[in-house]
Amino acid sequence: MEGRPTDDGELFARAQRGDTAAYEEIVQRYQQVAFRTAYVITGSAADAEDAAQDGFVKAYRALASFRPGAEPRPWLLRIVANEARNRVRSAGRRHHLELRLADVSRPGGAAPSPEAAAVAADDRRRLLRLVNALSDEDRLVIASRYFLELSGEETAAALGIPEGTVKSRLSRALARLRTSVEGVAGG
Amino acid sequence: MAELEALERDLRALGAGLAWPATPYLRAAIRPRIVVRRPWFESRWAMAAAVAVVALAALLAYSPSRDAIANWLNLHLRLQQVPVLPSPSPLPPGPLGERLGLGDRSTVPGARAAVTWKLLLPSSLGEPDEIYVQRPPSGPPEGEVTLVYGIRPGIPTSGETGVAVLITEARGRVNSEFFGKITGPGTTIEEVSVSGHPGYWIAGTPHVFFFIDSGGNVRNETLRLATNTLLIDEGGVIVRIEGDLTKEQAFQVAQSL
Repeated sequence: MEGRPTDDGELFARAQRGDTAAYEEIVQRYQQVAFRTAYVITGSAADAEDAAQDGFVKAYRALASFRPGAEPRPWLLRIVANEARNRVRSAGRRHHLELRLADVSRPGGAAPSPEAAAVAADDRRRLLRLVNALSDEDRLVIASRYFLELSGEETAAALGIPEGTVKSRLSRALARLRTSVEGVAGG
Repeated sequence: MAELEALERDLRALGAGLAWPATPYLRAAIRPRIVVRRPWFESRWAMAAAVAVVALAALLAYSPSRDAIANWLNLHLRLQQVPVLPSPSPLPPGPLGERLGLGDRSTVPGARAAVTWKLLLPSSLGEPDEIYVQRPPSGPPEGEVTLVYGIRPGIPTSGETGVAVLITEARGRVNSEFFGKITGPGTTIEEVSVSGHPGYWIAGTPHVFFFIDSGGNVRNETLRLATNTLLIDEGGVIVRIEGDLTKEQAFQVAQSL
C-alpha cells in the first residue's frame, strides 16, 4: 500500500510489540548511517558490515529499553558504534581509514552539489589528505560531524563519549587541521 | 573565526563528495536473526490459560476468597487458579542449567555485565553455586538471570528441582509486562511487602510459571514445577525466590538482597 511513510515513533512502537516487519523498516531507514558510522570507526567495510548487522540485532533485543518519543538515531548509533569499537578492540588494531573522493567525472554520475562544486578538486584532494593524516581520534570526530553530518548527540553516541566532550574534542581537532592546512599553504 | 567557518564549510563540501563503500542490504541479513515468535494462541500454555479463565469465573462466583481473587485482577501481577494443573514436561537429563532450561552458564561478573539492571544477590545464602543467563530470544527482551543454590543448612533440597533455592531476576514493567502463574486449588496467595517493595508469597502445591513479556507474548518460562515462591517487584526488576522454604526463610533471603 502506498501512502505517507510511517513515522519512526510508530515503527518503534510496533517493533516493541514484536512486529518484525516494522523493525525491518527501521533497519532499512538507518542502515546507511549505521554502516558508515561503523566504517569510520573500524576503517574496514567488512568489519563495518558485521558491526552494523550485530548492532541492529542487539538493538532489536534491547527494544524494551527504547523510550517512546526518544530520538531513534542516537539510540541505534550508540549500539552499532559500540559493536564497531568492540571489534576494533578485540582485533587489537584499527584498519587505517582511508577516505576517498568519489569519481565525479564518471559519466552518468550524480552532479556534484553546489557546495561540493565550490571547492576546487585540487583543494578537496589536499584537504582529504590532511584529514586522512590526522590522528584516529581527530579524524573520527571530524568525519562524524562533517562527513556523516551527525548531530552533537549522535556524534557523542558514535564516539561513546559525553555530549559535552564532543565540542571540545571537535574544536581541538579543527585547530590541528587548520594548522596543517596553513602549513601546507604556507610551505 | 572566519577561517574556522571556511574550514567547516570546506569539510562539509568534502564530505558530500566522498566515495563510501556500498551500504550492504542489512534488512535481509537481519531478518533471520530477529525472532519470529509464535502467536500466543499457538502456545501450549494457551489451553491452560483458557482453562484458568473458566475456572476463575467459577471461583469468582462461588469461592469464599473471591474478593482476594478479584483483587488480583487489578494487579499487574495476574494470578489465576485452576482445578487441574497442566502437567509440565519431565525434566530432561544433563547439566542442571539445561535440565531446568535456565540458559547459559555464567559467573557473577558475567551476569552483571549481561543485564541492564543491578543484579541482586542475597547475602544470607552466600555465593550462588551456579549462575545462568537466559538471553533473548529464549529469555525475556532484556535477559534473565537465575542463581542456583545447592545444599544450604536448614533448607530442604527440593524434590522438583534438585536444588535448595532458585532465584530468578528479570526486568518487568508494571504496566506493560506481568508475570502470570497458574496455581492449583491447594495453593495460597498472599500479598506481602519486603523492605518496602510489593511482593507475593505463593505457597502450597507445586505450580507452573509462565509470564507475558513486553511484546505481549506468552513466555514458557521453564519446564520445571515451582515450589513455594516469593515474588518481589524491586522497582522494575521482578525477583522470584523459589524453594522448599518457609515464609520466614524466604523473607530472610529477600531481605538480604
